[in-house]
Amino acid sequence: MSLSEAGATAVAAGNTACRPVRFLGTGKQFWAILFRGAVLLMVTLGIYRFWLATDVRRFLWGNTTIDGESLEYSGTAIELLQGFLVAIALILPIYTIFLITILDLGTVGSALSAAAVILLAFLSQYGIYLARRYRLTRTVFRGLRFHQTGSAIRYAICAIWWWSLTAFTLGFVYPFTRAALERLKMRHTYFGDLQGRFEASGWSLFWRGFLMWLAVLIPALMTLTTLLSVNWPAAMAAMRGGGDVLARIERASPGFASAIAGAIVLAVVCLVLIAALFPAFHALVVRWWISGLRFGEVTAISHLRTRDVYWTYLRFVGGLLVFALLLIVGIFVGLLIIGIAFQSADPQVSEIVTVLMLVGTYVVAALGLITLYQSIVMLSVWRLAAESIELVNAGALARVRAAGDASSPLGEGIADVLNLGGI
Amino acid sequence: MNDVQQLSCPAVYFDGVTSARHPVTIDVTAQAVVIRAPGGGVVDEWPYPRLKHLNAPAHIFRIGLRKSDRLARLDIADQEVAHAIDLACPDIDRTGASARNQQRRAIGWAFAATVSLMAVAVYGVPLLADRLAPLVPQGIERRLGAAADTQVRAMLNDGPPDRPFECGGAPVEGPGRLAFDKLMARLQVASGLTIPIRAAVIRRKEANAIALPGGHIYVYQGLIDQAQTADEVAGVIAHELGHATARDGTRTILQGAGLSLIFGMLLGDFVGGGAVVLASEKLLKSAYSRDKEAAADAFAVRTMLALKGDARALGRFLERIAGKTGKKSIFLDHPATQDRVTWINAIAPPQSDGATLLDAAEWAALKRICAGYR
Repeated sequence: MSLSEAGATAVAAGNTACRPVRFLGTGKQFWAILFRGAVLLMVTLGIYRFWLATDVRRFLWGNTTIDGESLEYSGTAIELLQGFLVAIALILPIYTIFLITILDLGTVGSALSAAAVILLAFLSQYGIYLARRYRLTRTVFRGLRFHQTGSAIRYAICAIWWWSLTAFTLGFVYPFTRAALERLKMRHTYFGDLQGRFEASGWSLFWRGFLMWLAVLIPALMTLTTLLSVNWPAAMAAMRGGGDVLARIERASPGFASAIAGAIVLAVVCLVLIAALFPAFHALVVRWWISGLRFGEVTAISHLRTRDVYWTYLRFVGGLLVFALLLIVGIFVGLLIIGIAFQSADPQVSEIVTVLMLVGTYVVAALGLITLYQSIVMLSVWRLAAESIELVNAGALARVRAAGDASSPLGEGIADVLNLGGI
Repeated sequence: MNDVQQLSCPAVYFDGVTSARHPVTIDVTAQAVVIRAPGGGVVDEWPYPRLKHLNAPAHIFRIGLRKSDRLARLDIADQEVAHAIDLACPDIDRTGASARNQQRRAIGWAFAATVSLMAVAVYGVPLLADRLAPLVPQGIERRLGAAADTQVRAMLNDGPPDRPFECGGAPVEGPGRLAFDKLMARLQVASGLTIPIRAAVIRRKEANAIALPGGHIYVYQGLIDQAQTADEVAGVIAHELGHATARDGTRTILQGAGLSLIFGMLLGDFVGGGAVVLASEKLLKSAYSRDKEAAADAFAVRTMLALKGDARALGRFLERIAGKTGKKSIFLDHPATQDRVTWINAIAPPQSDGATLLDAAEWAALKRICAGYR
């Protein structure tokens, strides 16, 4: 019996009718894709990213089944590369404006550079919307593709407005930003002719996350006020010159040392709180987002458990510790080899080797970190989120008609040129 | 293809028009996959050359039609049938052998692209900057220089507000100013410089001199203090004039822009790539800069020879300022002092007479060009 038949039987029996989403991929397969990708990224200084992104999406989409039928990613790496090249051609003029601005300083220059910054912010949001359109039209389910209508310009303007508001209010309006942008995106999202919408409210996310926001914000603000209480100009002036610097600073700005110590303690408290609360926040947002998704009469309800997400992050931390240990051993061995091999070499050669090793270590560390994150946190949360979805009226998914066409990969290119990677 | 005949199995068919799941039976014939409804009627026939393999979970063999406006799909779970179709259709490879092949090619190309971009960064960018720098209008360069000038003054002027930053303004400094102007005029004529130069001695204790875009040259007071002959000072100024002639300020900006295009936009968009980008940019910039320094040294030697001055004075002076400890480093933007001295001595013939560009009185006056303020 094939799995699709198994799914059909299960649906008929009403057994998993409420939890019809399954993820069939294994962590090992995903790890293999990511590890190979990381190595090739290093060798090609990042050009391999188009192929890696495509591999990752094929794996995630292809292994996610709804009601026994799997999603399908039909995009190709070549399309992403084309989108990137076209985007380069479009963004290069803006880059040139930046250059001319540097060369041609003055009021005209500063006005131009301000315009270019706004234009870049606009372009990145524009690219994000178009990239979503590309990904949706390359997502096929039951022989029909998803698609996205709507104006990317309008989305870009809304997004810039909401995200600036979020920044100005220190995250207070984050829930409403998310809700407004999701509503806008989902209203223009279709599976065939089945229109999507987003029904979770900003307030519901707000009330659930409010305490977490306060818990992090209060120590952060306290750190800031403590730092501001120092008379910085006087303290800076006292720092110049030798001798008993600390005593001079204390005279110039009383309470300096205790203020700095207090700020450090508060900052540490803030960071610990962020680390401790982040899994809960992640779970909360995912649960809220999935429970807001609608396609026609099909309603999603997420039963994602916070403790599962915590467990995932714990595994990630464990992975990090092992990785750090391996890295330290690797560095030690590397230094030993370099020390022996280049003992009497030309100082320039040994400098090149040292620099190569430093850069290499950094790249390995950074790539290792992101690979660990993706293979543990991203995959697990994807699986947990998918498998905890309850679908009401899932039967409607079988009565959809085809609509929409494949869109261009330009948006992905813009997002890539502006370094806004996503999966 | 005879051996694949008359294989058949149940499959799931999506017609690409609706999302309804159609249980069908498929027959693997010599030419095509024949899709039959449960009643036996033929739903569709898919010829092998048009089949393509689609993204699906490992246990499902999913195929569709290429160049079709419908996204019709066939999900086959029967491994034997899947294998037969795989064999019959040249474009499908379930084992992923040709996909891997394709990927290897892609990796090869990506690697080649990386190498070629690096070559552009090493050779192409400086060449391009050389060609473009003369095309930048003088007006822009002057404005650029004015902006840099304001910054440099703000950065370097650490004296009290009532002390002028430039030497030569006070009455005691007048003769020194005259000597300096004479030296500058002789150097400028000898070097055949066409762009206007604004040179001044500034009150800084370091032994240094800088050239900004737009023809600003600043000679630090410390340089004149530590010089033993006027030709040593002249050599350093001639070196800076070399930078001004080559429009090195503008070239540096153009080179920086080219590098950040290659490393910031085309390459390095991956986590950790930032370090590679920074290290490579720094490395290339120092390499470009070392070339410029060597060219400016050659210019200084030519100018000094044209004036029948002591062309080797620059090298001797450098050696004295830096000491012999000049450490070699690939990140240094000046060549190691020893290398510069060797290079200067190689292109400058040894001087027989001790001809100098200023007479003793003028040289003494120049030494006191900053004497007005302590």
